[in-house]
Amino acid sequence: MGIKIIKPGLFTTLQDLGRPGYRCDGIGPGGVMDFFAASVANFLTGNDEHAPVLEMHFPAAELLFEEDALVSITGADFGACIDDAETTLWKPLLIKKQQRLSFKKHNSGARVYLSVQGGIKADRWLNSYSTQIKVQEGGYKGRALLKGDGLDLLAGNSFFGLKNFPVVTALAMPVYKPASPIRCIGGTEWGIVEDESKAKFVGELFSITAQSDRMGYRLQAINLVLNEPVHLVSSPVDLGTIQLLPSGQLIILMADHQTTGGYPRVANVISADLPKLAQQH
Amino acid sequence: MQETNSTGNRFQITPLSDRSVLVSFGNIIDASINEKVFSLHQLLLQNPFDGFIESVPAYASLAVFFDTLKIKKLTGITAFVFVKKFLIQLLYQAHSLKVTEYPVKKIPVCYDPEFAVDIIDVAQLHGLSIPEVISLHTSVIYRVYMIGFTPGFAYMGTLVQELITPRKEQPRLIVPAGSVGIAGAQTGIYPIESPGGWQIIGKTPLQLFNAKNTSPCLLAAGDRIQFFPIDKNNFANHGD
Repeated sequence: MGIKIIKPGLFTTLQDLGRPGYRCDGIGPGGVMDFFAASVANFLTGNDEHAPVLEMHFPAAELLFEEDALVSITGADFGACIDDAETTLWKPLLIKKQQRLSFKKHNSGARVYLSVQGGIKADRWLNSYSTQIKVQEGGYKGRALLKGDGLDLLAGNSFFGLKNFPVVTALAMPVYKPASPIRCIGGTEWGIVEDESKAKFVGELFSITAQSDRMGYRLQAINLVLNEPVHLVSSPVDLGTIQLLPSGQLIILMADHQTTGGYPRVANVISADLPKLAQQH
Repeated sequence: MQETNSTGNRFQITPLSDRSVLVSFGNIIDASINEKVFSLHQLLLQNPFDGFIESVPAYASLAVFFDTLKIKKLTGITAFVFVKKFLIQLLYQAHSLKVTEYPVKKIPVCYDPEFAVDIIDVAQLHGLSIPEVISLHTSVIYRVYMIGFTPGFAYMGTLVQELITPRKEQPRLIVPAGSVGIAGAQTGIYPIESPGGWQIIGKTPLQLFNAKNTSPCLLAAGDRIQFFPIDKNNFANHGD
């Protein structure tokens, strides 16, 4: 009972708000790429904001509900349909037993989130339900979902008692547009970037190359020049840190980033723009 | 802007991100600098500020992560200004940043070329015999400078001059878990299977990383390590 995975989609995992506190062990916090969409998804179903959600990319999963469920779908618009009928994002929805949730068209955004009222059963590791792919712990057996997998739901009959349903006003619903400006602060090594290169960096239209994933977004090289050659010993990094690789490419560290690195940190995306960035593709 | 505390320790405190700062003592692999990093890390753990999340030691720097909104709410000033002030005060109070010396952890390593896939090349490069490489590698008590790169990967140093070896030109796509490697003046153990560019000179049967433990990593920054050789036949007996 619960949800059966009919089609797994491209890298579908259970995630929550992550596991801070273990960076000393080389274990980064991980968690959802878009904490705004994920938190709102849980808000709409009355879950705690730390409840695990399903994070999906396009092509997204096709899910068969084996029991009635109150859900919400937030984040990217992938043409969500319940039994082939278009449904709405950013609000609580009722999916009935034997109905299928599928995603037909990539309209905007990059990650879609599914929250189920009462919660989805997930493996807990180091205080979090997020999937840690490298060590294969947490989430659903520490891996991405496959066809035939089953997710257990924890609601029981609890949603029958719900009376007041939260809403998200149109003003709060993000609209994902390509090339939205992403705000940053100067990185630890911003000071050694040549002035001309600094000017080039700000305002450049970057493409998120195909070698991008939850660990980081690889951007094309733009010939950023440093004032002096640098050989850094390994030092900590954070989510949103933009590193300059020896190839000249830039990489923005995302949810599953390593905790330390030896490449110059030229800039750091501000926390407020991380959800927007997570929806760029 | 560089600051100097009462003992002449030079440091810089800059934002790492909008919810973390970096305390930097330099840019070298040096035991005395790493001692300062580790001391500040320990001091913070003993005297955290409200809103402190965690601190992460590295070779010559310490990152401090915090809850920005909580600090702003509690103090009325921006988190960066508050945390920077707090850390400077902590550094000034620590008249001599002392280090707790931990007992030496002994790590069994099998240096047989079956596991030590690069040991023959490393020996040849330095004009040494394999027993000499083993002797040089096991003769030193190493310091764990930091954990990073993958869960549980301990960067240790420093190798004796005769063993300093560059990384492999072509990193391997897969290095088996437990592989002991060297690169530059560092040595380390791959706790989980991962890609890697270090020269593999041995393998340990110890589990450096065990997800089932509440503290999943065997090693931590500040630990002291010494390797000892075991032969292939005893490999299974030394597993934890």
